Amino acid sequence: MENMITVTDITSSYGRRRILKGASFTAERGQCIGIVGANGCGKSTLLSVLAGTLKPQLGEVLYYGRTAWSHGGGRMHGDREVIRSMTGYVPQENPLIPELSVYDNLRLWYPDKKQLREELEKGFLSLLGIGEFCTKQVNKLSGGMKKRVSIGIAMAGMPPVLLLDEPSAALDLVCKEDIRRYLQVYLSRKGTVVITTHEESELDLCHKLYVMKEGRLAQADNRLRGGELVKLF
Amino acid sequence: MRQRAQYLYIEIKKTIRMLPRMTSQAILLMVLIGAVAFCGAKSMEREPLAVSADIGIVVHEDNIMTQMALGYVENLESASKVCHFIQVSEEDGFRLLKEGRMAALIVLPEQLVEGIMDGRNPTVDVCFPKNAGLEAMLLRELTESGAGLLGVAQAQIYGAGDVAAAYGMEENLSVMESEIDSYNLAFALDRLAVYDTEKVSATGRMNVFQYYAASGFVFFLLLTGMALYPVMQEEPRAFCGQLRRQGTGSLWQSFCKWLCGLLCMGVFLGIFWAVFKMASMVMPEQAAEFVGLFKSGVGGYPAGVQIGSLCLVIISSVTLVYFLYSIPGSRTGSILLIFLLSVVMVYLSGGFVPSVFLPQAVQQAGSILPTSYLIRAFGCMFVEYGVGELGQCAAVLCGYTVLCGAAAYFLRTRRE
Repeated sequence: MENMITVTDITSSYGRRRILKGASFTAERGQCIGIVGANGCGKSTLLSVLAGTLKPQLGEVLYYGRTAWSHGGGRMHGDREVIRSMTGYVPQENPLIPELSVYDNLRLWYPDKKQLREELEKGFLSLLGIGEFCTKQVNKLSGGMKKRVSIGIAMAGMPPVLLLDEPSAALDLVCKEDIRRYLQVYLSRKGTVVITTHEESELDLCHKLYVMKEGRLAQADNRLRGGELVKLF
Repeated sequence: MRQRAQYLYIEIKKTIRMLPRMTSQAILLMVLIGAVAFCGAKSMEREPLAVSADIGIVVHEDNIMTQMALGYVENLESASKVCHFIQVSEEDGFRLLKEGRMAALIVLPEQLVEGIMDGRNPTVDVCFPKNAGLEAMLLRELTESGAGLLGVAQAQIYGAGDVAAAYGMEENLSVMESEIDSYNLAFALDRLAVYDTEKVSATGRMNVFQYYAASGFVFFLLLTGMALYPVMQEEPRAFCGQLRRQGTGSLWQSFCKWLCGLLCMGVFLGIFWAVFKMASMVMPEQAAEFVGLFKSGVGGYPAGVQIGSLCLVIISSVTLVYFLYSIPGSRTGSILLIFLLSVVMVYLSGGFVPSVFLPQAVQQAGSILPTSYLIRAFGCMFVEYGVGELGQCAAVLCGYTVLCGAAAYFLRTRRE
């Protein structure tokens, strides 16, 4: 069975500082991959590369056999169309315009009005409960609501891979549980999730767990929790 | 393409939603700047030569002939405009001169008129204070020039008399004198050009109201930039990243923001124009009087050039504001920077106090700033410059616009 995600020896730097030094992992369809590690170890950088917002220096990324990033002729080549069609990305900051309503924000990512209405009524957006506060202005929403809208935006076009960068950070327990529930539904629909997190509740979802240390990924037992896991950082 | 159009649509929608708040802020600024500009114009406006020089006259003999001569000089049009003659005693005259309360003291000798009539030509003493003020300095120069001219004319007349006597041609003396007079008159009349009225103003070709309208308008455009932060401020980095992921690049994002800023500025000006038009319908006389303050009475550019220069001023100002929003990358920092730089640049460009009153170094620094060219370009609405000057002004503004736009784009993409 072909992997949904194949990441091979990804190297990336910010200026002269090398963040990723050959990170590799694979994920199958319907799997949830958890990436943990100390703050600043490069988890978000890896997700940025996978989401196409950061160009790596070396390595290869394939989505279901289609090349997203590859190295050849001394330079990196990226296929934005592959990345765009295969992935949905939820960054740490919410990608929202605060002065507009939730509906207006969603309209940017769902250009088809009819499709958006359907999504809000019976699609994934309704599952996220966005329809209840769709007319509200974004800067009047709670952190949990904003995060739900961010996930809704990432789900535009129903991509087969969802990349989440610490989705539960600074959220209350109810919101965390909600997000966990949505991810379960997504996984049950054979979606693939890559999640960076510090939350143990989210680790329970993971089929594979990777620890990022010194720019490299090392697979860990996904049953490890708390102090035992931290020892690996 | 669809995504780009959608983004532009969303940005315009956001602009429209934020417009009432931004407009109310712009109105507040307009009122504030209008008040400052009006006070500035009022303080600058005064009649030229409003201060006349006090001249003391000492008359040693008070007979009717002397009084007639005195009255003749006092009522000369040229003298009465600039001088105020006061008859004083010799003692008082020198005291007032010493105290600096008089620009000059004229001491008329006895038998003055009779002396002129019989050719003795008694000397008239004109005394000036030691540390002369501007009026006294001017009077001294004029008096010395006049005395010189008279001396030459007298020498010619006496010389002609001596020549006529030497060659026994006394009967032709009157013809010679009239010819000398005609030469001197022609010579003097040519010199009248020197005394042609030339209005010199610290505000250049524009009158004071026009000048402050131009600088006030530019100041308003820049300060209004502070109200545009919801439109021109960078969106959250995550949002920009998502847009780029979806194929809407930084260039298009920058262009949309700039376009929305321009749209807002256009709406602000449209609102002010509509308010003025409505006010002029309600109070036509006051409106006409107000408009009259800005009319120069000399020919101006055709409407097309005026509209073009107005558009250039608006586009350049919006681009400059957009660039200033790109430097700090934060809302508070941007607003502070726009306020400070607007005040400093308009001041250096002579927008508050005309440049001629500023130190030389400040004048030089101000002359290369975009605000100087913006003020000059807006001046096209009132006065006409030469083609070269207008072209240079437009070219420099276009250059500044391109430079600011490119720098803003560079700064924004670098932060990403």
